[in-house]
Amino acid sequence: MRRRTFTAGAAAGAALLAGAGCDAPGGEGYGDGGDGRGSGGRRGAPVTLTVLTHYASEPLASALQTVVDAWNATHRRITVRTAAVKFADLLTTYMVRQAAGQGADIIHPYCLWTGQLVRAGVLRPVPPAAARQIRRDFTPAAVAASSVHGTLYGYPTEVQTYALYYNRRLLRQAGIDGPPGTWQELEDAAYRTARRDRHGNMLVQGFGLSRADDASVVGQTLALLAARGGAFLTPDGRRTAIGSAAGRDVLDLERRLIDRGAADSGISLLRAFPSGQVAMAINAGWWTASLRGAMGADYREVGVAPVPGPAPDDRGTLATGFLLGVNAKSRYPGEAWEFLHWLNGVRAPAARPGRGAGGGVPVSRMSALQVSVGSMTGRADDMRALLGGGGEGDADGRGGGDPNLGPFLDALRYAVPEPNGPRAQQAKSLLRKNIEDVWTGRASVDAALRTAGRQIDQELSRPY
Amino acid sequence: MASAGGGPVRAARRRQTAVAYLFLTPALLFFAVFLALPLLFAVLLAQSRWAGFDLADIEPVGMANFTDLFARGSTFLTPVLTNTLLYAVGTVAIALLGALTLATCINNLRFQGLWRTLSFLPIVTTVVAVGNVWKYLYAPGGLINGALNGLGLHSVAFLQDPGTALPSVVVVQAWASMGTAILILTAGLKSIPEAYYEAAELDGAGAGTIFRRITLPLLRPSLLFVCITQFITGLQSFALINVMTDDGGPGDATNVAALEMYQQAFKYGDWGIASAAAFVLFLVIVAITVGQLWLFRRKGGES
Repeated sequence: MRRRTFTAGAAAGAALLAGAGCDAPGGEGYGDGGDGRGSGGRRGAPVTLTVLTHYASEPLASALQTVVDAWNATHRRITVRTAAVKFADLLTTYMVRQAAGQGADIIHPYCLWTGQLVRAGVLRPVPPAAARQIRRDFTPAAVAASSVHGTLYGYPTEVQTYALYYNRRLLRQAGIDGPPGTWQELEDAAYRTARRDRHGNMLVQGFGLSRADDASVVGQTLALLAARGGAFLTPDGRRTAIGSAAGRDVLDLERRLIDRGAADSGISLLRAFPSGQVAMAINAGWWTASLRGAMGADYREVGVAPVPGPAPDDRGTLATGFLLGVNAKSRYPGEAWEFLHWLNGVRAPAARPGRGAGGGVPVSRMSALQVSVGSMTGRADDMRALLGGGGEGDADGRGGGDPNLGPFLDALRYAVPEPNGPRAQQAKSLLRKNIEDVWTGRASVDAALRTAGRQIDQELSRPY
Repeated sequence: MASAGGGPVRAARRRQTAVAYLFLTPALLFFAVFLALPLLFAVLLAQSRWAGFDLADIEPVGMANFTDLFARGSTFLTPVLTNTLLYAVGTVAIALLGALTLATCINNLRFQGLWRTLSFLPIVTTVVAVGNVWKYLYAPGGLINGALNGLGLHSVAFLQDPGTALPSVVVVQAWASMGTAILILTAGLKSIPEAYYEAAELDGAGAGTIFRRITLPLLRPSLLFVCITQFITGLQSFALINVMTDDGGPGDATNVAALEMYQQAFKYGDWGIASAAAFVLFLVIVAITVGQLWLFRRKGGES
């Protein structure tokens, strides 16, 4: 999902975090034992906690390290060390390290895996005081994504919503003034902007369909599904609901875009869009920072709009995210929760992007970290404070950081969380394969929906 | 007389047997620890539910994992197992034909050592490197499509089109594994006595007849070995597909049993279903190997 190759934002992040990193330790009442004193080993003995995350590339790695260094500088007894792997290897690494008895004290899983990790006994429930605070401070979608059957298993960290990216220059060249507001407008714009060479090779895709991974394929489809008023699974998460008319409409739309030459799922969207070879695509908010780094000055041609639905007033999209939780096998759960509370639960003054290090607003260190790398947390008030008071930001981008983040922040109000039951990853992988079968013409829309329903229902029916 | 000398002889034999087993003990222990125990554990897991962490959490479920593998909606039989078989058959067919052709050519060329070494180079190259190089060759803007465009033909989405993805990977697997087959077949060709060829030439047999009537039948033991080992390698293939198509895509077009097992165990923590799938794959490999032995034995190949 996260091909993060950010090059911008690291310096801003460091300044932002430095302002947020040096106050008194929090955590009283937030540890497992309720005293914030920790659990394993002798009381007062030095403790080293490990954090295993997917923040392996810049500026994420530096941003996290800055805040960890700030903790280590002010907490002599509890030292935190970070380890990182690529997102694609994260779940496998958690499972394998846990099997080998080498699980990290603090893990940073994708919310989709929460159910699987909870059922496998990897994640420890959040202590009651911290759970109360999380429910109070975070958006319902972020809380739901970090919970299983109503029990919270970690602090929601970043929250990603999906929106429509568009290339203003390509739309302008096709005589289109602004982003599409409906599916009909999206189709028209896609057909008008698409171009091929005489060999049939795609020069410009009207609409990009990414096959990079599960998150890309399924995320953009589920965002369109939500905008059409549909859902992937039934509310209890036990059966698939994508075989509905809404599901059929979404896959029909994607198939039509391919059949009529506006989309080619065989081309890497993550490379083609920054090269100005894609007019529109649906992706999550983290991509803004990635595009800013990859496109340089050309990034000013990138705009972001809400995911269109069939009608102008249709609003809906997908919210995904990550949580920071404590390993059930950790010897120091109290210390781990204390660190996580300091990172996610305590507010400290932080600078707003574009306004230097001064004029700090009180936000959590994690909110400051996420905004510094072009992402968001599920703390809507922090996001408003950091991004300039409103979702849209200023017209020229000042005060609001990157104005393209506005639609993602606005989407927090109406986005639906991704299902996160024990077999959610398998269900997502099966859905991805069937969506790809439609995109590649291997199956008709009806056949793919039938097969997806059969396969996912069979998978969800298996006890864990 | 016999009974008088039988005692010491039997005792000597017993001593020899004991010494033989003593020398065999390290090897037997090795097999017990690294083969028999894992095999038994896999059989146990195939009938259990387990996330892979605490042994105490192993929960017996009988044959549920096997019924789940073949339940309506399961992807294991179709397309996973069918892809595995197509992959193995395709690999063996291409590698065997290619290796036989090249081995015959090499056998008639000068500098045979050089050609054999060159043909063996893909074997000593890591699968990741091979997969990535071919991925680039197959890419929409890659060398192969560039050549096709140069000839005035349209590009082919080799790894992106589900119709061509599996055959494209099969070609690479066959290319990468041909070196071993060439070595074995050239050794087999060398072991055929020259007298047979001289006699056939004296009788006026053409090159085609000599190849069909002399070379192929006498090469059968080598062909059997190549066939069996290539089939087993093909059925167990994982790394190349993982490199070239990531998760067995597009869709499930290149998903094979070993990849599915890996994902079930190490990604989803479903060791029961992964072990059951491994057990089914083991049975498939045994059945195919026995079938090949029977086929070649019927034609006198095993000799």
